[in-house]
Formats: sequence, C-alpha cells, structure tokens
Amino acid sequence: MIHMNDVMKVYDNGAVALNHVNVDIKKGEFVFLVGPSGAGKSTFIKMLFREVLPSSGILTVNGRDVIRMPNREVPYLRRSLGVIFQDYRLLPDKTVYENIAFAMQVIEAPRRMMQRNVNNVLDIVGLRDKYKCFPNQLSGGEQQRVAIARAIVNSPAIVIADEPTGNLDPDTSWGIMDIFKSINASGTTIVMATHDKTIVDAMQKRVIAIENGEIVRDEARGGYGYEN
Amino acid sequence: MKISTLEYFIREVFNSLKRNNWMSVASIGTVAVSLFIFGMFLMLVMNMNKMVESLESQVQIKVYLEEDFSRDDARDLEVDLKKMQGVESVTFVPKEEAMEKFKERLGDQKTLLEALDETNPLPDSFEVTLVQPEMVKTAAENIERLEGVEMAKYGQDVMEHLFDITRLIRIFGFALMFVLALATLFIIANTIRLTVFARRKEIAIMKYVGATDWFIRWPFVLEGMVMGLLGSLIASVILRFSYAGITAKIYNTLAFLPLIPEYPFLNYVTLVVIIGGMIMGAIGSAVSIKRFLKV
Repeated sequence: MIHMNDVMKVYDNGAVALNHVNVDIKKGEFVFLVGPSGAGKSTFIKMLFREVLPSSGILTVNGRDVIRMPNREVPYLRRSLGVIFQDYRLLPDKTVYENIAFAMQVIEAPRRMMQRNVNNVLDIVGLRDKYKCFPNQLSGGEQQRVAIARAIVNSPAIVIADEPTGNLDPDTSWGIMDIFKSINASGTTIVMATHDKTIVDAMQKRVIAIENGEIVRDEARGGYGYEN
Repeated sequence: MKISTLEYFIREVFNSLKRNNWMSVASIGTVAVSLFIFGMFLMLVMNMNKMVESLESQVQIKVYLEEDFSRDDARDLEVDLKKMQGVESVTFVPKEEAMEKFKERLGDQKTLLEALDETNPLPDSFEVTLVQPEMVKTAAENIERLEGVEMAKYGQDVMEHLFDITRLIRIFGFALMFVLALATLFIIANTIRLTVFARRKEIAIMKYVGATDWFIRWPFVLEGMVMGLLGSLIASVILRFSYAGITAKIYNTLAFLPLIPEYPFLNYVTLVVIIGGMIMGAIGSAVSIKRFLKV
C-alpha cells in the first residue's frame, strides 16, 4: 500500500524533515505515527497525499509513484485516499449532508450513488439524524465524525489522519477510535499521527516512532513509548 | 462534463455573485464603464478609418461648368479633358443627377429642398480623377483655365492634414483600447481574487478530496465571464443609444461627414464588446485563481 525507500525531505530553508526513511505498510494495517512535535510526523503524512514532495528516494502509495507523478495526476492519487485533520476542515455554510456529498460532487460521482454512499457513511459514523445540521450546531466530536464520513465516502484504500483526536476529550476520542476500528475491520488501511498515549497503548497496533526525521522504532504491536 | 457538474458550477456562480453582491455590482459597473469607453474609441477609430477611405476614393477634381455653357460645348470640353496629361477618367454629371445625389445625401431631411420649388441651382459638372492624386493641384489649375469652367475644386490640403490627424488618432485609439482592455482585465481579476480568497478553505478541501484544478477553476472562470457579460451588456446598450444620438446630431449639423450607418455597424460593435468582455472576464479570473490552486 505504502512503500518508502530512503526517502529524504529537505525544505527550502535547509531544514531536514525526514532523513533516510524506509517504511512498508501493507493493505489493512492500522499504523500509529508517534513522536515529539516537529519530529517529522506531519511531513510524513503530507507526503502521502503529495502536499509535500519528497526531495529524494522512492515513495509509492497505492501503486502510484508519488515523486515522479505529474501534477495533473495528483487528484487521482487523492481520490484513493481519505484525509482527516485535527481541525476537521468542514465547510461552515454547508450542512452535514452537503459537506459529505461535496467530496463526491467534486469527483463527479453519479447522483444516485451519492445519496446511497452518503447515507451509508452517515450510518457508520452515527450521524444519520443530524444530516441537516450545520457544523456550528455540532460538538467537536460530531464535527470530526462528519470529517471522517467525508474521508471515507469515496471508499478510499487508505485513510490518513493527522491528530484526529487532538482537539477532543478522552470519551469522545474513543468514539472516534471505534469508528476507525470498524473502518479498518472492513479492510481499509489506516495511518494515524497522534500524541494520545492512552489510545496507542490500549489499541496495541503497529507503532512507528519518528524523532528528528528518522524512524527510531517500528513495532508490530507497540505502545506509545513516551511519557505524556 | 456531466450535467450534474454543470448544474453545480452554475449554482456556484450565482451563489458567489449573491454572496459578494455589492462587490459584484461595483465590478460589473466598472467593467461596463471601461467597456463603454473602449467601445466609444472603437467606433471613433472605425469612423475615422471610414472617413480616410472615403477621402482617398474622392481624390478627384470637381469641375463645375458655367451656367450658360451648353451641353454640346460640354461634350467638346469632355474630349479636351480626356486628352489632358495625367487624367485617368472624366465623368459628366448633369445637374439633374447632381440634385438626385444631393437629395440622397440629405436623407430624411430632403424635405428641406422643397423650398427650392423644383428649381435646380446646381451646375453641370465633370468629375476628373487623376493617375497620380499628388498632381491634383497643377491639374486643377490647368483645368480652371479652360473655357466654360466656372471652377475646379479639390480638397488636397485638407486631406493631407486629415491623414496626419487620423494616423495619430488611430495610434492613440489603439493604444487606449489596449490600456482599457488591460484595465478591464485587472478589475475583473481583482474582484474574482476576493471571492477566491474568501473561499480558499473550500478550495483547499476540494484539492484534498481529489478535485481536478479545472473542476475548481470553472466556477470562477464562469463567474468572471458572467461579470464580463453583464458589464458588456450594460455598456452595449449605452453605446447603441450614444451612437444613435451622436450620429443624429452630426447629421443635423455636419451632414457631409461620411459616418458609418448604425446598422449593421452597431451589431458588430456590440458583438465585439460582449465577446471581449467575456474573454477578459474569463482570463481575469483564471489569472487570479492560479495562486490558490497550489495545495
């Protein structure tokens, strides 16, 4: 699914964000990305959907060569991925339903399919009865669930989440993780950057730790490994 | 492109115009003003061209005959004229024909001639064209010396000045039209930039979920085209009324000026203004969205 071979990222100001990174993530895996702030987690995540272009090395995502891919193919790479952010990034003037349907609208999905898929993901995230609400009428946890619904509505092979529980209280965070678990159970690969020790320790999934741009630990069933 | 996508684009355009309504009105107004000025200069330059052309074709000597000169004598004179060096053609214009032409030229106001009570004050004349229009001065002087010739008129010095002036106006006019086109482009680009800026988050989200650049760009380009279209429609309506008004005024006072008739000329001008407005709107918005597509 995701293959990194000797990937380097050096920003224009000379800062080395990722240094000789080698990673293989297989289909259906659930991977936590941990490490101190500024260690390179965000760069790692952003490279996967090519918001950041690696400086050298080999990076393939879903069988696509991300580095040598021409710009016009980037949208098609992103259609095979679902991206979730800490700050939800919902459109405030669109309802829950419209926010989710928007992801299908922009890839010109047929309208009948749109309705079915949106209702389907609303069921998965448990917001069927709130489809008419606007984001500011929802709690943080609910907004993040809308963002997750939007990320999975096009049935992506990989879901990439950057601190999805960063703004949420523990109970709500567990609600979000339950959704991730069920998405993962249906075969979707999940890569999640997080600072949440409790969640990582409890889930016992693969943990990749990054420090100073290098992978310092990669365990199949690991814990968070840092003191909060 | 799918129908549902097209629907989405159109909805986006109108939502955006509504959302920024005062900004949109201001932009459309500014576009209308600059396209109006653009159109006025276009019409001025084209009329100047027409005048130059008609003057060029009129490089000829009008030879007016004395009133008591008989038609037989005139026929002899015609032979003499044709024999003159440098003369290309000689056409006899009987006074009746001259009257008809004059009536034609007056158009709607030919009723003025009713005051003449069927008398014809115009003389018989010859129209002499020359092989070399520059020779018009000497030729006219020679002709004037012939018997039976009242006078030989030509408009050369006027013409030379006119050529200078029209050349200047043409250059100035094209430069001004170019500048106005740029200004229109700039105005539309700026307005669209504001709407794009207001929606930069939405654009970023569209990019994250895999929208192509053209899918994102289209609603904005369409919005620019709609603003260009509305602005140019307003400009065209005012242009049409203005041109009709101005030509009417000029015909009233300076009937001899060869202006381009309103139809179909105004239709062409309208077409140019509308298509120009839409193209500038499209380019203006395409330019301003470019920066926001880099996510």
